[in-house]
Amino acid sequence: MSTETLWVFLQDVILSGVVAAGFAILFNVPPRLLFACALGGAVGRVVRDLLMGGGMNIEPATLIGSLVIGIMGEYFAHRYKTLALIFTVSAAIPMVPGVFAYRGMLGLIRLSNATGETGLMYLTEAAINLTKTGIILGTISVGIAMPVLLFRRTKPLV
Amino acid sequence: MTTEDIATVEGVSENPLHPLGSKPPLDREELRDVIDLSLWMGQLLLQYGAHTDRIERTVHRLGTALGADWLDILISPNAIVATTISGEEFRTKIRRVVSIGVNMAILAETETLIERVESGEVDRFEVRAELKRISLIRRVYNRWYVIAWVGVACAGLCRLLGGDLAAVAATFIASSVAMWVRQELQHQYFNPLINVTATAFVAGVISSLLIRLQITTTPLQLLSASVLMLVPGVPLINSMQDTIRGHLVTGFARGFTGMLIAMSIALGLLLAMLLVGVEGL
Repeated sequence: MSTETLWVFLQDVILSGVVAAGFAILFNVPPRLLFACALGGAVGRVVRDLLMGGGMNIEPATLIGSLVIGIMGEYFAHRYKTLALIFTVSAAIPMVPGVFAYRGMLGLIRLSNATGETGLMYLTEAAINLTKTGIILGTISVGIAMPVLLFRRTKPLV
Repeated sequence: MTTEDIATVEGVSENPLHPLGSKPPLDREELRDVIDLSLWMGQLLLQYGAHTDRIERTVHRLGTALGADWLDILISPNAIVATTISGEEFRTKIRRVVSIGVNMAILAETETLIERVESGEVDRFEVRAELKRISLIRRVYNRWYVIAWVGVACAGLCRLLGGDLAAVAATFIASSVAMWVRQELQHQYFNPLINVTATAFVAGVISSLLIRLQITTTPLQLLSASVLMLVPGVPLINSMQDTIRGHLVTGFARGFTGMLIAMSIALGLLLAMLLVGVEGL
């Protein structure tokens, strides 16, 4: 790994932690739990970055990253005797596919004014980006929801 | 009445799933208190962003810890119905709930409270006082502190999405101002979707103006990151949590809420771009 990639990598780790902490503050997370939120965000993003650096596509990498966030959330929930949601929601934010969502939306709007020639291009652009947004958001929520089901298998209470 | 007497009461002992009669029966007054407190707890959880399974479990745990034998709970996206059962007696009540937004501090407090009730540390009257205190929690952090952190977080996301330094700085400005507008609108009791659209509009106008000054080579990252504090993370994650566990009604409702929020963000951004005249990026 060259110094430059290492620097970019380090920057991503720190930024993800800061982003997760910022959103935790937006969601009114009590101060004693902030660090755990930041840690979850940083580790989840690092896992995804490493997998994508190793040549994996963004979708499976996001799934594995959010599984890690889900497992960490369960651990922190157990340790601090609180809800896993507190840690997982803010930790998932650094993986949100902002640019894909934006491109998809823009593609749809252009599509409505397109002519026959440009229409196909815009349709493809919108379809690709919206599908990517949908799949990434879906994998994030599936990845976060799964670990609980594996660890807490109690008889239905209600 | 002994435990055997209760267990043999006609109609009560029929259902093997309900372990009735294991506790001293509560009278109607006590039962009224139990259902009131349980629904109050459920209301807080539904209002501030817990998923359905969590709400069901917590309401059930509180009711049984306060002396009821069993609770049946029905959770819809904007109301909770519960029946408390103790011995032969039962009471049913509905509570209407309006989802307000996310407040993790309140969710964390409810979890602490339920642990204390189950360990027998607090009784019904103290639970009422505690719920009153928790209901009044608003913000843990100072308003300006939140604005600054939201600005930093969105700027960080801009960088993570690949924006250059000018775009990062512009995102900080756009999203901080937009967050201030959001807080102002929240105090005016606007419809939440209008609030989201207006916030995205403000963020969009500021970023579009900065893009027209041609300070950045990554306008896409700037525009998309400046509205990310509106991203419906909690509804989308809760939607999946609910759907996976078979709570399809609340799951779908939450998913649809998330989609509406996303569309409101897009609408606000679009209006801003039309107004300022940034197109075809």
